[in-house]
Amino acid sequence: MTRPRFPIGVLFSRSGPYEAPGRQGFDGAMAAIAAINAGKRHDFDLMPVIADPQGNADRYAILCQEMLRAHRLRHVVGCTTSWSRKEVIPVVEKNDALLWYPCVYEGFEASENVVYVAACANQHLVPLLDFILPRFGRQAALVGSNYIWGWETNRIAREAMLHSGGAVVSERYVPIGDTDIGHLVAEIRQKRPSFVLNNLIGPSSYAFLRAYHALGREDPDFHPDRRPVISCNLYEGEIGSLGAAAAGHFTVSCYFEALPTAANRAFLRDLAAAGTTGPVTAFFAESYAAVMLIADAIAAGGSDAIETVLAAATRSHAATPWGEIAIDPVTHHVALPAHIGRARADGAFDIVELAGQAIAPDPFLTRTALRLGGASARPATAQAGNLRVVS
Amino acid sequence: MMDRRTIPSFDNWRALVAHRPHANVDAILLQFERIGIAAIHRWPDLGPAGELAGFDVLLFDADMGFDAQFPWEPGAAPMPTIALIGSEAPGRVSWALNRGADAHLLKPIGSAGLYSALVIAHHAHRHRRALLAEIADLKARQAAREIVAEATAVLMLRDAIPAKTAFNQIRRLAMASRQSIEQAAAAIVETADSRRLRR
Repeated sequence: MTRPRFPIGVLFSRSGPYEAPGRQGFDGAMAAIAAINAGKRHDFDLMPVIADPQGNADRYAILCQEMLRAHRLRHVVGCTTSWSRKEVIPVVEKNDALLWYPCVYEGFEASENVVYVAACANQHLVPLLDFILPRFGRQAALVGSNYIWGWETNRIAREAMLHSGGAVVSERYVPIGDTDIGHLVAEIRQKRPSFVLNNLIGPSSYAFLRAYHALGREDPDFHPDRRPVISCNLYEGEIGSLGAAAAGHFTVSCYFEALPTAANRAFLRDLAAAGTTGPVTAFFAESYAAVMLIADAIAAGGSDAIETVLAAATRSHAATPWGEIAIDPVTHHVALPAHIGRARADGAFDIVELAGQAIAPDPFLTRTALRLGGASARPATAQAGNLRVVS
Repeated sequence: MMDRRTIPSFDNWRALVAHRPHANVDAILLQFERIGIAAIHRWPDLGPAGELAGFDVLLFDADMGFDAQFPWEPGAAPMPTIALIGSEAPGRVSWALNRGADAHLLKPIGSAGLYSALVIAHHAHRHRRALLAEIADLKARQAAREIVAEATAVLMLRDAIPAKTAFNQIRRLAMASRQSIEQAAAAIVETADSRRLRR
């Protein structure tokens, strides 16, 4: 007897200015689909419907619309950048479908037709700054790609620095894909911040890290031990190709390949058995988890209708490579741990801070304290933000 | 450069939605819950005036709302207000404007829009209040100019000095006694009046 098949959209850019994370998202989704189809845990198959916008933001809505129409599918796993996600949201809302978005993002969104299977700012930037400030100091340089992720993550960082007795000494943006970053490094050399918050993506980020590494060799005061670069979205695959240029810098994530848990060991063992080669990053793991959440919810509810899937996925915990998660029925986000990793020259991370427990999602940052790193200073303006202590 | 206006934290905010029970209200209350703001809804009676003032933002229905719902004059709401507009008939839009809406949301309400409306309404309301206070202050100053002129005349006659010298004297008095020029002028006129009465 043939197993029933449910189509599932896989919408990632495998070329263009953020192809590395795009490929990781694609590979994670496809690995999960293969695992489900090969396994006995589910009595149905998932049929991937694949489209590749090639990093062109204007292609996302068109391709998503096409796959929804042609295959009558209800679930799309995809998008890496916030820009592309914003393009897809009106399409899934109009077509009564769900977008499973498997990448860290800046927050300030909670669409009923999106499930956010990765961290928002209170689950990445906030714990990262909380870790860095007491260890390296409170003078931040902010760099970012010129779009919503860079702008908003740096805005939150600026606010957090203000509330934490720190300061922002410089803030610079370059267009997505631009590798002309000499002026960024020159300014940082002059301003001598305690650390650099890197919200650049793709080639801009790689060029920056290489130039910063060159600066560190010229002037030991810019060695990562003294003034590290910290990121919320720089993972194994990318630091692998950077080698020594990434070594010593910090990343926050719910998932690292080095995560010393039974769930992660089993996940990596299964992937190896299935023939997956190359590094496994958070983009991979989150995309993998998104497909598993969909499959488990279809199994529990007996249908791929979005109400059925959402009801099942918000009711019960699902196993992911980094532990059990459940979707928050109110915000459609998930509680996630924030581990701190330090890049090694061989492309892996040493986990320097293993998070004890998951942080509840707060996409609008209305429940999160921004006084970080043991700061006791009063905020510098009368317009104080929320001063509750982060748990 | 990007605008550096502070985004309110909405910490401990309370919101009131003045709209009849409807799917749009459910959608708004859900958005409030996601954002992390406590919100309730009432219709048509908004509750006692004293209690109303305790809300940090008011969302009111531009379609079926009416003046008698509000215990304040049009445009004088003590908190930021957001109009919920369904019919874009000019009369209703005009009524919402007249009520002093600081921002608006179009019905049907989906899963987004409230956060930006809250931020915009917060700033618009604060800006408007600051302007009204400044205007009131300027009006008071203008009204007081007469007293400055009178005090200048008093000093000119008393000490036989030119107008400019008289005015400088008032200014120095104001600075020395940490008063406004108008207050210092009023004191001079008052003293002159009482001397006149004693004579």
